[in-house]
Amino acid sequence: MYKFPSEEWAKAYYEKLNANSDYRDSARDWEGDITLVINADQGLERDAYLYLDLYHGTCRRYIFTTDPEHIPKSEFTYSGKFGNWKKLINSEVDPIKGILTGKFKMKGSMSKIMRYTKAAKLMVNTASLVPSVF
Amino acid sequence: MWFFRSPSIVYGEDSISFFNELPQRRLVIVTDGNIIRAGLLQKIKNELPSDSEILIIDDVPIEPTISYVLSLKGRIIDFNPDLIIGLGGGSCMDCAKVVFVTYERPDIDLHDITPLVNLDLRKKARLILIPTTSGTGSECSWAAVISDDDHGRKNEFASPEIIADFAIIDPAMVSSLPEPVRKSTAVDALAHAIEARSSTWKNSYSDIFSDKAVELISGNLFDAISHPENMEAVSNVHMGASMAGLAFSNSQITLAHSLGHSLGAHFKIPHGISVGIFLPHVIRFNYAESKGEYVALNKKFPPNLRKRYLYLTVENFLKVLSMPVKISDLNIKKDEYEKKMDSMVSVALESTGTVLNPRDAGRAELEMFLREIE
Repeated sequence: MYKFPSEEWAKAYYEKLNANSDYRDSARDWEGDITLVINADQGLERDAYLYLDLYHGTCRRYIFTTDPEHIPKSEFTYSGKFGNWKKLINSEVDPIKGILTGKFKMKGSMSKIMRYTKAAKLMVNTASLVPSVF
Repeated sequence: MWFFRSPSIVYGEDSISFFNELPQRRLVIVTDGNIIRAGLLQKIKNELPSDSEILIIDDVPIEPTISYVLSLKGRIIDFNPDLIIGLGGGSCMDCAKVVFVTYERPDIDLHDITPLVNLDLRKKARLILIPTTSGTGSECSWAAVISDDDHGRKNEFASPEIIADFAIIDPAMVSSLPEPVRKSTAVDALAHAIEARSSTWKNSYSDIFSDKAVELISGNLFDAISHPENMEAVSNVHMGASMAGLAFSNSQITLAHSLGHSLGAHFKIPHGISVGIFLPHVIRFNYAESKGEYVALNKKFPPNLRKRYLYLTVENFLKVLSMPVKISDLNIKKDEYEKKMDSMVSVALESTGTVLNPRDAGRAELEMFLREIE
């Protein structure tokens, strides 16, 4: 089991994402990095950041940190409170509905991301595959 | 937490008389030549207050493109309307929705019409939609389909803010529909209702509208076709189509629409036909995941059309309507179809309908569907 969020969880996620052939297929034209922001909430004292460099269906590198100075400026950010991330990873919240209901915020080109909703869904599904404790 | 969104709906015979008491005076009507020739624009004009000033956009193409919509922006802004009316089929109503956005927010990129962006509309005008076909459901939905300039992709612009303020569901607007249009648009509406019922975003509110839509459309379409003077049947199909629009607008569509949009964009096939051709295949594919929903929907068909399983019922429904079931029925050449296979799969894969399908489908499954109709 991997504690979310943590360096160990991030590494496990990175490996599972790169092993996911469905993700690789649906994101085969995607070029763009994204930072997942886990905002402090009950159970998490400090904001945490997971930077993912995504390119043509693979994750080229990741950075996990609690210091925003240590991550590159990314094309997209997807942020939400720790409690909502728990629900997302446990498949209790749909990632797009999460934005529409204010549980998550997305920054970046919406037109681009809306053409890759399948890849986005598979990214979330992959997170659910990481054995997680909170 | 979730929402059920709907325009205010004015329905039934003589509902266009709603315009008698319109508070707005500077109106833009977005329509096309066929609507004018059918006398439908005049019917609306007859109901408007006599001191209304009207700008008529009368050349909406069958598949409006981004360039076309943007070409209207200057004229609309100069006219400074306080009401925009979309009068026609899906193309005119979708065009009116996007024109509404470009008028209210001339600064934004059309691709920002997504549910994820706050558009902050209705500072200048309101939006009314009047369908002249019984199928697209656009009058009730918060989506607008606008093609890329090369027609290679149909963009599914969507935002809760582009839902109409009022939808006018008057059977007089569809009483003289040509039979092929009545058939293909009704199949589109049926697909909306069935896909809304099985989408992963389905909910109790949208379910109710799906069920009633299937009942009204399947129970009245054949009377409306054979006896178009039967206004009760025509009106029931018309209301059913708007209910199907409410259903899918609040729970979204699935794979038959993803594939239909892609096939339609690549080969210029009417929407109802391109979606209908995939519908029984998609139902069969999803059957295990959506069995309860499909069983409930199957019971809404009249006994004379109903078969044991929903996909068989829908196959039978399409057969009785003489709708195309193979690409050979659409005069598509096999080699052309093969050449575009990869592109069709890619476009379908990008559709949100693919994501919201109850059963996961990737490139292999999408290609399988495209080959099933070869």
